[in-house]
Amino acid sequence: MWRREILLKGLQGLGVLAFSALPFGMARLLLPRQIHAGQQWIPLPGAQTPQTAFVAACIGCGLCGEVCPPRCIKFNNETNGSEAHTPYIDPAERGCILCAKCIEVCPTDALVATPIAEVKMGIAQIDRAACYPWVDQGVCGACVSICPLGERAISFEMWNQYRPIVQQGCVGCGLCVEICPEPSLPIRIVMRDEPTVAQHGLGIRRRSYQR
Amino acid sequence: MIVASVIQHHLNKLRWLVLSGVFALLVLLPFLYLYQTYEAAHAYDLLPPTEKAISDSMEWLTKPFTRDPENDLNSFKGTTWSGTLYGLKLSDPLAVIGQVAATLSVYWPFALTALIPVLLTLLLGRFYCGWICPATLLYELNDNLGTWLRKAGLPVSQRRLNRRLKYLVLVVGVLLSAITGSVVFASIYPPALVGREIYYAIAVSGFGAGAVFFILTLLFDLMVARRGFCRYVCPGGALYSLLGRFRLVRIQRKVETCNDCAKCNVVCQFDLDPLHDDFGQECNNCTACIAVCPTDALSFKLTIKDQTFQGPGHLGHLYRKQQGAS
Repeated sequence: MWRREILLKGLQGLGVLAFSALPFGMARLLLPRQIHAGQQWIPLPGAQTPQTAFVAACIGCGLCGEVCPPRCIKFNNETNGSEAHTPYIDPAERGCILCAKCIEVCPTDALVATPIAEVKMGIAQIDRAACYPWVDQGVCGACVSICPLGERAISFEMWNQYRPIVQQGCVGCGLCVEICPEPSLPIRIVMRDEPTVAQHGLGIRRRSYQR
Repeated sequence: MIVASVIQHHLNKLRWLVLSGVFALLVLLPFLYLYQTYEAAHAYDLLPPTEKAISDSMEWLTKPFTRDPENDLNSFKGTTWSGTLYGLKLSDPLAVIGQVAATLSVYWPFALTALIPVLLTLLLGRFYCGWICPATLLYELNDNLGTWLRKAGLPVSQRRLNRRLKYLVLVVGVLLSAITGSVVFASIYPPALVGREIYYAIAVSGFGAGAVFFILTLLFDLMVARRGFCRYVCPGGALYSLLGRFRLVRIQRKVETCNDCAKCNVVCQFDLDPLHDDFGQECNNCTACIAVCPTDALSFKLTIKDQTFQGPGHLGHLYRKQQGAS
């Protein structure tokens, strides 16, 4: 029965193929399935966009983390997707100081050399219902004073000296998130393609309240 | 000639020195990185005592070599997966292949970082596996443990699988990289795992899942096959074997001085057959067989091809019997 033989051969081949794919599957299954709490996740400065292109180009060597002076770069060893071992920044813990050492050391094209003003990690968004000066609960200005880009990224409102407003020049380094004294973090970094107050004015914000 | 044979006898010790040196460096580099961050922050007085101890010891270590540790130490970074050595960027060829498969395009500045390893492998064969790989140190210690367990009477399995399996793992890994769009080798390749996990453990947040996978490979070596992961699964080993197929530097047997004691076959962790001139592309030039040979019959030679079986060694019983018969 040659048909049975061919079938058996095929099954054998499939078995060997499955066995050789086993280590890859095991390595992925071992990673605990855990999504980051909240939205505290931003890409590295100069990272390729979209995220899939960055993940494909990153080889997971960890060099970016090994040169980062503020130690803000963390690694995805908790999510079991194809993003395993790729770096990210959690601005709630430590923001990026835009020193570009990670871009310099990256052996691949995952991080592309970019002038500081053109880095696109995201854009800061302020929740005006929780920020102290915006609800008239005191004076702060911490985010404005720490911003490495100054006036073009974040500035005060014209009529109230302490109400921060995010400008279009914001690159999303996350230093303002790190410094924000309000525990609920009314300032956070969102992706550039999400609708934000800085891009679309207050209208979009009101709509989001109605949801 | 005598000098050469003496040197070759001690190459195995040199190899252990190199292996432990690379491993020690991988442990040291995260501490140096921590020291750099302390220097960059200019906040020695605010550090807790343990970090003060790290800062002090690393300062003592690097003081003779550098005046500006914050920037100078950046020239010495990374792991054997990809790293910077005095400004020279070196990467594993497997990383390049994985990245090319994942992005479906070649980024030449990165691909060229693997040039030196590839050229050395074409010349020396699978030497990376025997001389540099930080996982090899752990695997060899694990193999010694297996030998002790066997002596103590515990069942340590020595199954034989098909050597070609690892080439299939390499191909499947390349295909999976292309399908998922990420370098999947990074999560199973032991040297990448070891370097990364050491760095995670010291400088980031403790061991990750890669350490668990590595322990599983150690158990695989103990319970299924001797050095099984390197011989049957490791995709990097497969790549280096293929590249080193026509290597120039090979260990060869001199039949005139061989006495058929078979110590070389016992000591070879890759289960090759030096006694019958069967080295092949899998030999990682670890020189353990040269070190153990009592009659200096094994030595490095410059040839493209292995010799075919030359018959029993001229100092052994078998050869004398054959001579008497003819």
